[in-house]
Amino acid sequence: MAAKVQRLSLNEAIALVNDGDQVFTGGWTVVRRPMGLVYEIVRQKKKNLHLCANPGGPEVDLLIGAGCATVGEINYIGHEVFGHPYNFRRAVEKTQTPGYRHDDWTVQTGALRIMAGAMGLPFLPTLSLKGSDISLPGMDSLQDLRLQDPKLPRKKLAVIKDPFWEGQEVVLVPALRPDVCLLHVQEVGDKGTVRIQGGCFLDYYGAIASKLVIVSAEHIVPENQLRDNPERNSIPGLKVDIIVELPYGAHPTALFGYYDNDPWWFRDYLAASKHQETFVDWLSKWVLQPGNHEGYIEKLGTERLHALQADPVKGYNPHIRRRLDKLEEVGGR
Amino acid sequence: MSNYSRLEMMAIAGARLINDGEVILVGTGLPLVSTLLAKHSHAPETVILMEAGLYDSYPQALPFCVADARGVYRTPWIGTAVELMGQFLQNKLVDVGFLGGAQVDRYGNINSTVIGLYGQPDVRFEGSGGACDIAVMAKKTIIIMAHERKRFVERVDYLTSPGWMVRRYPDGKLIPRVEAGLWGGPYAVVSTLGVMKFRPQTHEMYVESFFADMGVTLEEIQQNTAFPIDVTQAKPLESPNDSELNVLRQVVDPEGIFMKY
Repeated sequence: MAAKVQRLSLNEAIALVNDGDQVFTGGWTVVRRPMGLVYEIVRQKKKNLHLCANPGGPEVDLLIGAGCATVGEINYIGHEVFGHPYNFRRAVEKTQTPGYRHDDWTVQTGALRIMAGAMGLPFLPTLSLKGSDISLPGMDSLQDLRLQDPKLPRKKLAVIKDPFWEGQEVVLVPALRPDVCLLHVQEVGDKGTVRIQGGCFLDYYGAIASKLVIVSAEHIVPENQLRDNPERNSIPGLKVDIIVELPYGAHPTALFGYYDNDPWWFRDYLAASKHQETFVDWLSKWVLQPGNHEGYIEKLGTERLHALQADPVKGYNPHIRRRLDKLEEVGGR
Repeated sequence: MSNYSRLEMMAIAGARLINDGEVILVGTGLPLVSTLLAKHSHAPETVILMEAGLYDSYPQALPFCVADARGVYRTPWIGTAVELMGQFLQNKLVDVGFLGGAQVDRYGNINSTVIGLYGQPDVRFEGSGGACDIAVMAKKTIIIMAHERKRFVERVDYLTSPGWMVRRYPDGKLIPRVEAGLWGGPYAVVSTLGVMKFRPQTHEMYVESFFADMGVTLEEIQQNTAFPIDVTQAKPLESPNDSELNVLRQVVDPEGIFMKY
């Protein structure tokens, strides 16, 4: 049976996420991340989340820093050229008993794992990982959890000889089977058809693989409007459960055709996230005290949002200057 | 004193290693700067791929990451990591992988994961991203990183991206790349001091050329390399020409995002 799409408020949508859920976040590093949904996860104080974005960006660093996540099966966590993921670093550096446990993967194997989940397969083969420490059982940081936690595969990977052709060694990587998929997109129809511009990344696979799919969008549009050009649509409504209208829902990450990365956000976040105390202050000021998404947008201010506006054709803002050491001030800070 | 920086010399040396028409899968940062410089000068038919799904990218402004709208704008086709990394790369359609990293050893093995012990690291980095996949499956790889003793190490603290001596599954013994069934392998390492390549038989790194016109000496390279490195065949690298510097400064990275003007 096709899912009956429900239109909910941000608060109602995130209330459906349970402590301990395995969560896939759409987008790619600092682009089109479901930041508004993630801020609400922090406000609702979700715990023990198991993250499987491949790769992760500020949304993953933020969930680790806020104490919402205990496990990650992820190939990269970072803010790209803006700076380092200090919350992630602090969670795993120089400690034998981290509150957050990190399992390293790669872009290709992360993609195959979520595709296996989407295909309903237990695993897929790859020629990658061979020769890397990532493949070694002795470097499996989740080994002690594997037989206890039903959300983790019993082994990180397996190696077999190809039974069909030349007989070379092939690595089998287990499916990801997320409980929840969080996406932010440009447009979603009122029956759940998703239209993404500027690259789908792994969002389609995340949606098909996950049990509960929550899509926030800049606009919820009449479904009929999306039927004119089906080839421009990215995800069918079949697997979309919840839709939420959330303008600027990817801020501070970039949304093709709508807004660019917010360099002022990254400057402030990077400075604050270097220490737990200053990060807690930042969270309080930017996520908790504003109370909801509208409060957050109001706090950013129109001048700041205006400075981020993308050229609708080019997809980015050709005038914005991105060097954090030479940023000029803008309102709303 | 030269009128260009070591960062610029490094970016230019990297660009010169790219041949016109090659299909090249690039990471963010210096690999992208070098590749765009090549594309804007001697290698206009280069096909630039990025792991997020970008095909034949030719950005008008420098992308901040491999998913940036700047890289997406006016591409002839766009896919996902399933096609780029699971199909193009694995099916040997990528001529060159261009990678950075935190540490490299004499066999071109790269670490972009941790400093110290993996289970209890002194410093944690962002992680492989697509680097391991690219190092395993590109037909050749070019590595670009600052030349410091703590980076050019005897043994990488964590072998993220396999070079010429790689981990055997499951015991982790170091074995020659070909014994692990891998094709490709590191072709060159471009640093802030020179360009290194690998001996055909032993696959050990040696210095092919160095930035003599910037005052770099072979002793300086040896002092900044924590393993013995052969410098006997090293030649001074040709200085950047005005055209290379102009394209780098005015077209590729006018903001100085990576070149730090």
